[in-house]
Amino acid sequence: MADAGTQVIGRRGADGAPPSSAVEMRGITKRFPGVVANDRVDFEAAAGEVHALLGENGAGKSTLSNILTGLYRPDEGEILVYGERVQFASPRDALDAGIGMVHQHFRLVEPFTVAENVVLGDHRGEGRSFRLRRRAIERHVAEISTRYGLHVDPRARIWQLSVGEQQRVEILKALYREARILILDEPTAVLTPQEAEVLFATLREMANEGRTVVFISHKLHEVKAVADRVTVLRGGRSIATVSTAEATQRSLAALMVGREVATTERVEQATEKGDVVLELELCSVAGERGPAVREASLTVRSGEIVAIAGVAGNGQRELAEAIAGIRAPVEGLVRVRGRALRPGDPRAAIAAGVAYVPEDRLGTGLAPSLSIASNLALKAYREPHVSRGPLLRLRAIRERAVELIARYRIAAPGPHAQARQLSGGNLQKVVLAREFSARPQLLVAAAPTRGLDVGAIESVHAYVREAAAEGMGVLLISEDLDEILALADRIAVMYEGRIVGEFDARAADVEEIGLAMAGGHDPRQD
Amino acid sequence: MNNSLLVVLLATGVVYGTPLLFAALGELLAERSGVLNLGVEGMMLVGAAMGFWTVQRLHAGTGLSLAAAIGVAAVAGAAMATIHAFLVITLRASQIVSGLALTIFAGAAGLSSYLGNDLNLASNPAAHQFNAVFPSSMQNWPIVGPIVFGQNVLVYASWVCVVLVWLYLTRTRPGLNVRAVGESPAAADAMGIDVSAYRYAHTLAGGAFAGVAGATFTLAITPQWVDGITGGAGWIAIALVIFAFWRPELCLVGAYFFGALQALAPELQARNIHVGPTVLWTNALPYVMTVVVLVLVSASGARRRLGAPAALGVAYVREER
Amino acid sequence: MVVPAGSLVFAFFASGLVLLATGHDPLGSYRQIFDAAFVNTGALGQTIVSATPLAFTGLAAAAAFRMRLFNIGGEGQLYIGAITGAAAGLYFGGSGSSSAFAIAAMVVAGCAGGAAWALIPGVLRAFFKTNEIITSLMLNYVAGYLLTYLVFNTESYWRQTTGFNATVFPTGKPLPASAVWPEATVHVQGGIGLPLGAGIAVLAALVLWVLYRRTRFGFEVQVLGDSPRAARYAGMRTRRKILAVMAISGALAGLGGASQVGDFRHTLDADPNGMRKQYYGYAGIVVAALGRYNPLAVLLVAFLIGGLQNAGNTLQGADFPSGLVGVIQGLILFSALGGELLVRYRLRLVRRAETPAAAVEAA
Repeated sequence: MADAGTQVIGRRGADGAPPSSAVEMRGITKRFPGVVANDRVDFEAAAGEVHALLGENGAGKSTLSNILTGLYRPDEGEILVYGERVQFASPRDALDAGIGMVHQHFRLVEPFTVAENVVLGDHRGEGRSFRLRRRAIERHVAEISTRYGLHVDPRARIWQLSVGEQQRVEILKALYREARILILDEPTAVLTPQEAEVLFATLREMANEGRTVVFISHKLHEVKAVADRVTVLRGGRSIATVSTAEATQRSLAALMVGREVATTERVEQATEKGDVVLELELCSVAGERGPAVREASLTVRSGEIVAIAGVAGNGQRELAEAIAGIRAPVEGLVRVRGRALRPGDPRAAIAAGVAYVPEDRLGTGLAPSLSIASNLALKAYREPHVSRGPLLRLRAIRERAVELIARYRIAAPGPHAQARQLSGGNLQKVVLAREFSARPQLLVAAAPTRGLDVGAIESVHAYVREAAAEGMGVLLISEDLDEILALADRIAVMYEGRIVGEFDARAADVEEIGLAMAGGHDPRQD
Repeated sequence: MNNSLLVVLLATGVVYGTPLLFAALGELLAERSGVLNLGVEGMMLVGAAMGFWTVQRLHAGTGLSLAAAIGVAAVAGAAMATIHAFLVITLRASQIVSGLALTIFAGAAGLSSYLGNDLNLASNPAAHQFNAVFPSSMQNWPIVGPIVFGQNVLVYASWVCVVLVWLYLTRTRPGLNVRAVGESPAAADAMGIDVSAYRYAHTLAGGAFAGVAGATFTLAITPQWVDGITGGAGWIAIALVIFAFWRPELCLVGAYFFGALQALAPELQARNIHVGPTVLWTNALPYVMTVVVLVLVSASGARRRLGAPAALGVAYVREER
Repeated sequence: MVVPAGSLVFAFFASGLVLLATGHDPLGSYRQIFDAAFVNTGALGQTIVSATPLAFTGLAAAAAFRMRLFNIGGEGQLYIGAITGAAAGLYFGGSGSSSAFAIAAMVVAGCAGGAAWALIPGVLRAFFKTNEIITSLMLNYVAGYLLTYLVFNTESYWRQTTGFNATVFPTGKPLPASAVWPEATVHVQGGIGLPLGAGIAVLAALVLWVLYRRTRFGFEVQVLGDSPRAARYAGMRTRRKILAVMAISGALAGLGGASQVGDFRHTLDADPNGMRKQYYGYAGIVVAALGRYNPLAVLLVAFLIGGLQNAGNTLQGADFPSGLVGVIQGLILFSALGGELLVRYRLRLVRRAETPAAAVEAA
């Protein structure tokens, strides 16, 4: 049904002439220390089309859009808007050039009204006036909102609105500034299916008017439903640009995750898989914006590495936090070695033998200003060999730190050095050292190699394998399919809070996995 | 009738309340932009000293001298505020510590005292002072006479300021912008508003108002200079802003309320009225009430409607480019 | 270490310029200050008198600020401690108990009063997430009015009701002799007194230091102050800590109040120009900041600032620029605040260029 929709609109162009490019990015390269986020990327979107940008995490979509909206400056390459070369020194320049962006995390002032948020900072024309003409502004905003079907009361305050309505305000902001090119970053992540439908209708309406909509997503059915063309990014490169009418979900998934060469060696682990260490029974967990995990069930055995694949933002973090006791599930149970964990109590989880390596190392897993030694003792400080009654045994802590630093080869000036001074790889080693040395039953590792260089990645992989070899159950949550394929025994895929597929890693079909990650078995499709 | 307790209290309340009002308006502007400035007392004292000095040294007519004095007081207050602004906005130092440092630096055992003594300000009463504007016939009208018509220009100016600040915050674009900066500097920055510039401007404005407030003491209330003449008014002004929930119109009400309270005890004593526990309750009540309301607000989540500017006291760091 | 020393130098340099510009002699003035603070006969004793309350309120602020609990209610907590301490002293001092008992009772009462007052913002913060800066600040005013009320507005237990001027000049009841805190005499500078309060402050600093550096409690405080998220991740209980730390902070400030009554004023001093004018509570925050919230450093800073205060009080007169002490103190603070951050800034800018972690999150 959606396919029929895309066929009707097709490409814009007066008298059948090829569409004019609204925005063109040529040879864009952006480097960050240790990684090339965009590698000679070419991207082009036409006026009057909805163009999707598809890819996994780390593929470079966010970087590219940040460059287009003036937040980053490209190291190489050029940007053309309506045929003219442009250079953006700041987001304001991009706004002036007619490029508007709707971010995943809204930039709204909660106590203000919708109208106030829409006009905030507008420095064109009316915006230059000193007086704030409330009623005129409210009328203007109401006009725009009706025209595009973005129904929201201009006088409502942001905190009164639902998330979907708040997103409409963000879109209104761009429309008010007469953005000709609108970029939306994973907009349906926070919407209900019904709200998503409304959004798609709005986007089509805008495209029909001649605007350009760039839609960043990892969800295949959406891309097929609303976009005219889609550009697939992978590993920082642009892989292909195809018309959605001609592509299938499968072909897109192949482009998204396809590997030309087997990049990482798979090491077979001949470990005995023992008893069940972790059991999730129909766990539902709430996130900041509504349900994050829906009735997830999963088991992990001792000696087994189970990976959860999926694009970030599909509930993985909330799931990990529920297991670690940081978040209480609203339904369902977490069992470790058969015993149900007390929900929402990190101490209970730690006592039961759950080790957690969080994706936010420096923000959650470590206390940045404290010493490495203190961080290594972050959970163990209550134990008898580290403290005697109320007093800490500082020497024991220090000795332990020295030992762990040596064993895990953490590059640091010494145990007294502040944690924040370490590089990413070493930070992760500190966290791993701490979690491992607690001899846990279950190790939950979330995005453990994010931001690390090759050597550090290898070390982490080695530790994960060692953990399994020593009889721990390992739950590896990662966006990196290569990593998952190299390490896991079993692969579960999370999409929109549910476990949508389980695969045996040895017999896994990468494309199937990619399809599942991108919502491929969505009943709305076909 | 004009000598009744109530009328006298209200009339004196206006007198004592005026410096509180000026200082509170200034602090309100700073806090609306997200900057907490505990150095109000210090800024007031420096303004008091420098305003007084201007009047003593400037050999000109009354009107001109007083006008110049107010100007100088404002500049002096703003200059003091600049130190705080630089430390907390650019260097992102602790706003609490910096404000207290400013109070110590500029306060009664600091710069204001230094200036006052070095410039010999204590030796003479003010050469010019702010007197009542309306003729005494009008001042004798029942009730409104003393309360409304018995006041000096500064009082009337403060009323105008309340209206201006209110209009500014609710009906102008810069006012909208500054409120955004105080509530959500990240959103304001994303919309192209210069957070630092707004914070600087409003902190300095706060200082200017505080300076004028101080000059009210030395040029109107007790037209002479004494070390520490403000007697803690700066601290009351800080509380007043919170008590008024960051709204200028409530600052007016609150300032006169606090002013009247200050006049209450001496008046009662002069009339030989026995002062009992009611004095404690009436004095302490505003603060207790404020705490209660704040708790209710934060507990119920109505913080977004009634509470402090969300970013008050927090330095703003923009994400990496 | 470099920064505090550097700020001292800068402060003296800057105020020296101010002095020169206004026709004073900087070196002469500094010499006068130094002598009045530390050298003259009895100077050390007076400095200790000025430093003792600052030590208490400084420790109080340090205890709380370490965990990023911005307790600015030290002023009020000190007043309440003075009230409860005075009550204990008046009662037990006059009832025939031994001196030691009466004094001990005052110490306990002072701590209890201050702790209770601090627990109000503590509870509000722990259970209702109300901003402790505002609530503790408001309670300062309430405590001040309570103080005024007890001595000026009622015939309360604390008020002197007999004697010549009792009704005309309200004052607090004098402390019975057995409740007056003792002083040890040290034979320096012709004999100076070391008040009990000073000794208690040193002891308190040591206890606080041990508590925060070497106990599990202190470890949790450190983690909570640095990263509440990491604390939760590690299973630490936040609410209890908030209450405990506020209570400790309040108790220290309250102890300072009891010391004011027992050591120095020997009565409940509600005079607006007396104890209250000194703003010990707020000054303590500044002392704590200069001492980087380290209890032992706080003692040292309290001593130095106490010396400055003492010099300021003693040197009132024609040939000494009044207000100089405040100016110097302010400048020391400004440059300490500024210096520390400039140093940390450069470090952070360098660090950021090297860590790849943050960058790839954005890709």
